[in-house]
Amino acid sequence: MNPVFQGLITIGIGVGGIFLYFVASNALLDKVLFPAKGKNASRNINRANTVRPWLFLAPTIIALSLYLVYPVIGSFYRSLFNRSGDEFVAFSNYTTMFASSEFRTAFWNNVLWALVVPSVSTFLGLLIAQLTDKLRWGNIAKSLIFMPMAISFVGASLIWKFVYAIDPELGIINAIRVNMFGLDPLDVLQVAFWNNLFLMVILIWVQTGFAMVILSAALRGIPEETIEAAIIDGANPFQIFFKIQVPQITNTIIVVFTTTTILVLKVFDIVYAMTGGNFNTQILPSYMMQFMFRDDGRATAVAIVIMLIVTPVMIQNIRQARAEMR
Amino acid sequence: MDNIAGKKSGLTIAVNITVFLLVLIWLIPTVGLFVSSFRDRDAISSSGWWLAPFSTEQTFRGRGDVESVSQDGALFVLSGNVFQDPEIAPAFPNGEGDIVAFGDSGRAPGEYPAGEVADLGDGETLIVEANGDYLYTVPEDPGNRGPRYYVVASTPPNFTLDNYRTVLSAGGMGQAFINTLTVTIPTTIIPILMAAFAAYALAWMDFRGRAFLIAAIIGLLVVPLQLALVPMLQLHYNLGIGQSFLGIWLAHSAFGQPLAVYLLRNYMIGLPRDIIESARVDGGTDFQIFMKIILPLSFPALAAFAIFQFLWTWNDLLIAKVFLPSSEEAKVMTVKIADDLLGSRGGDWGILAAAAFVSISIPLLVFFTLQRYLVRGLLAGSVK
Amino acid sequence: MTRTITGVSAIALITVAGSAFAQDLIVPQGEGDFAWAALEEFAANNDFTGETLNVTGATTGDDAQRYRNLYAYFEQATGATVEYSGSESFEQDIVIAAQAGGLPDVALFPQPGLAKDLAAQGTLVPVAEGMTDFMVDNYAAGESWKQLATFPGADGNEDVFGLFFGTDVKSLVWYVPEQFEEAGYDIPETQEELMALSQQIVEDGGTPWCIGLGSGAATGWPATDWVEDMMLRTASLEDYDRWVSNDMPFNDPIVVNAIEQYGMYALTEGFADGGPEAAATTDFRDSPDGLFDFPPKCYMHKQASFIPIFFPEGVEAGTDVEFFYFPPFEANSDLGRPVLGSGGLASVTNDRPVTTAFMEFLGTPIAHELMMTQGQFLSPHVDANLDIYTSDVQRALGEILTTATSFRFDGSDLMPGEIGTNAFWTGMVDYTTGADAQSVADAIQSRWDEIK
Repeated sequence: MNPVFQGLITIGIGVGGIFLYFVASNALLDKVLFPAKGKNASRNINRANTVRPWLFLAPTIIALSLYLVYPVIGSFYRSLFNRSGDEFVAFSNYTTMFASSEFRTAFWNNVLWALVVPSVSTFLGLLIAQLTDKLRWGNIAKSLIFMPMAISFVGASLIWKFVYAIDPELGIINAIRVNMFGLDPLDVLQVAFWNNLFLMVILIWVQTGFAMVILSAALRGIPEETIEAAIIDGANPFQIFFKIQVPQITNTIIVVFTTTTILVLKVFDIVYAMTGGNFNTQILPSYMMQFMFRDDGRATAVAIVIMLIVTPVMIQNIRQARAEMR
Repeated sequence: MDNIAGKKSGLTIAVNITVFLLVLIWLIPTVGLFVSSFRDRDAISSSGWWLAPFSTEQTFRGRGDVESVSQDGALFVLSGNVFQDPEIAPAFPNGEGDIVAFGDSGRAPGEYPAGEVADLGDGETLIVEANGDYLYTVPEDPGNRGPRYYVVASTPPNFTLDNYRTVLSAGGMGQAFINTLTVTIPTTIIPILMAAFAAYALAWMDFRGRAFLIAAIIGLLVVPLQLALVPMLQLHYNLGIGQSFLGIWLAHSAFGQPLAVYLLRNYMIGLPRDIIESARVDGGTDFQIFMKIILPLSFPALAAFAIFQFLWTWNDLLIAKVFLPSSEEAKVMTVKIADDLLGSRGGDWGILAAAAFVSISIPLLVFFTLQRYLVRGLLAGSVK
Repeated sequence: MTRTITGVSAIALITVAGSAFAQDLIVPQGEGDFAWAALEEFAANNDFTGETLNVTGATTGDDAQRYRNLYAYFEQATGATVEYSGSESFEQDIVIAAQAGGLPDVALFPQPGLAKDLAAQGTLVPVAEGMTDFMVDNYAAGESWKQLATFPGADGNEDVFGLFFGTDVKSLVWYVPEQFEEAGYDIPETQEELMALSQQIVEDGGTPWCIGLGSGAATGWPATDWVEDMMLRTASLEDYDRWVSNDMPFNDPIVVNAIEQYGMYALTEGFADGGPEAAATTDFRDSPDGLFDFPPKCYMHKQASFIPIFFPEGVEAGTDVEFFYFPPFEANSDLGRPVLGSGGLASVTNDRPVTTAFMEFLGTPIAHELMMTQGQFLSPHVDANLDIYTSDVQRALGEILTTATSFRFDGSDLMPGEIGTNAFWTGMVDYTTGADAQSVADAIQSRWDEIK
């Protein structure tokens, strides 16, 4: 009982603490510093409203600058030094990197990943979210599609090993090839170019559940009146979906797409566990892991390149945010 | 009217079939993992999981029982039942089974069909009946080491709960479970709370630097966590937090921020402007608007993000390894499984599969609970 | 509990009960043919009552329990408490700890490559004055062992940075004696005979080898062992050392030849179960299973002494499966019978009197014996009693170590991380799946040039 109790107390302190911050700081602002009464009431309200955004943002900004901004700047600085970190080499880590054929393979594979995985999983997620919406067993179907998200990457790699294994007694693909079509077993992870797609399938399998949940929430957020109006106007289900529903959730679709793209640029586990980057399946995150904690100069240089790749997605999102604010 | 209804039901059937097929495709790998979790390592690496529910033909070997030897003229006869053989018996707890074929060499273990007398040359003969009774005739005294025979027997499917037993009864697993909850619950709620306030500020409050902040947060989404581990742990030591639960809360909360803010802001910006503006006109402060209007309206987004944040922290190994002490009292489940159960060189596939399903159960529960909040119509009444 | 525990089953019982009775001693003090005198002498000289010693390492699960069982004797002798924590990602954890803080007192490195890096950064503390020649005096082929633990420190001066504890022998070929007997095969004494035997097996309709290079991110490492063993059998020890230190380039004809010698087994049609393509991805842990099938999927499997823990349940090393020494070439008989191995290095990361005592404890013959009696542990310690080993197989392996004349360490463990735990691995995978030896060797060398 004791550890349970201890756990509960710690949970209480943690969650209570953050909640208290928001309540107390706002109370302080409204009641003590700039009370909305007395002779300066309206000036105080204005003042309170200038300070409040920063009150709301403070925990996030502090957390982000400490835990992410500072390491990024530190990493960039580190990427200008050699392996042991004692000699300034300017951009030589970057130049050696771009000269290496393994890096170029990883780079182009990664571009392929960033195009295929987000498109396919967003599309499938949207499809499933819409199809299951009205289905009686929709929630069960959704839970089953969602399940891979809850399996750790290690478990996922294990099970895909049993899908792709070359031994027809172990791998289901080769079992089908050999027993049903009489073909020779084939190691799908060694088939040039296509092996990349087979690895992407794993991430799509995992990630579609994410797209589905978010898009399903968005679809349900659409005011029903708009759909009812369309039905009355005699629109068929496809028209309703493409002309009424999709346009209303475009924003969410972009969000899901962006999030998945970013995930693609971070996930190293799948390639790491399935092929170790062999057979020309290397991607940047797993390429980075080869150097991580060993040659930090190179590792951080790869990380900076990964961050630069995402710039187009970032710019698109910022444009959109600007448009919304107007 | 009939026509439309017919079309509709046709469409419904198509939808049902499509969803069924998609779910099936999605499920196959998971089912494979599930089936594997009930098999031991040897079974997993010797036959495909889809064969697990069926009887399979497996080859066994045994030796003629020298206790049973009797002399028949110049020949020695050994007899008995293969299912009593100490090397074979463990696979057949009932002591009976079906012999399909037999042989006398490992190279051709199923050379002769059951029940047929095999002439092995040099005066040796062997017959194994389908029920396992055998007669082995050899020209020389076998001494204390009986002659080898091989049998192909159909073996019943063999499922075991041992993997689950190992995972669940491992010493300290209960503590690890509580530790995992101690990590995941606050690190699901804290970042959401922080991010919800920040997202509201970025969506609906007007202040200088807003666009810059949004840009920065999107940029930070892509930062690989590995970069932050060393400097952050260093910071924690300098602050005196060291490796502790407080440390991992801070770490998870911070690492989860960009995505949480990004998702929630995008949801909140889609909320109808007139609700917020009319509340402002009524004199509500932003804090009140947030607590009374935005928070309830954002429930689907909050629930959706909570599901994912919970999942990530639940399955996280890397951050737990770095920010929690390595002592037994602070181990979370993922660490416990990776370090204590899988053994030094990994490769215990059965336990790995069982562990995956043990750890999947709570996230699924969370999913089911929170899914109720992903409902339609929260906004319905408020939009004109 | 008064009986002496030697049987494997007793060990199994102990490991099951292990966590609950961690403080119980696995062998009651004074019983059996152990060097108890060494422990008594050590206890008399060391008292650290109340102190806590943190030890980390890469061994986890049951293996970790074996180490904890050993530390119980140290605790009993000195009064100190040993906190051992093993981690799957030890190498990453120790690097993070070295940079951010939170180092243990003693670290058990699974291989010395990383220790070398950390020594250069000043994370490791050299062994105490009196211990520098410890391995020379007490280990068979001690000079080699000492050499392997000698690195430049942060100040650039060379020092001995630890003690090897726990060893694996690599130059082994595992086989099922009964299958050999049935088919009438003899144990080959030379590479020429081994090649002839492989061809014989193919002619008889069998498959001679099970090869599995799969190991997740570390895919390819088993092939590096093959190449290293081939180096030792086709080139002199000096050449091997020059290769490991890159004084001889990786694309030297000698090295390319060694790679091709490995290819003679892995790439020859019909030699490897499933063909080279399957060999490249089959998990090394699953690969030996083929030995035990009927009909056998293969007759031989080359792997280090630790592999029996991955044999199917119920297979007993010594009766069901045996090993023979990976033989030398008759044509190169002047090269002797070299042994390839690897070992764990215990290093001090925090200089305290109790850590010095702990290192001293790891050097006592009794410490080695207490590990030997639990199985899965081989020791080159000349004073450790070979009778303590729990099986003939273990004893034979131990003997290989204590009588080794030329012992060489796993070269990939000694090369810089980028090569030994990356370029060499992936190069071997490329070679096994069709690249030619010269271009693979060229690529590894150019990678090596990059980090110089």
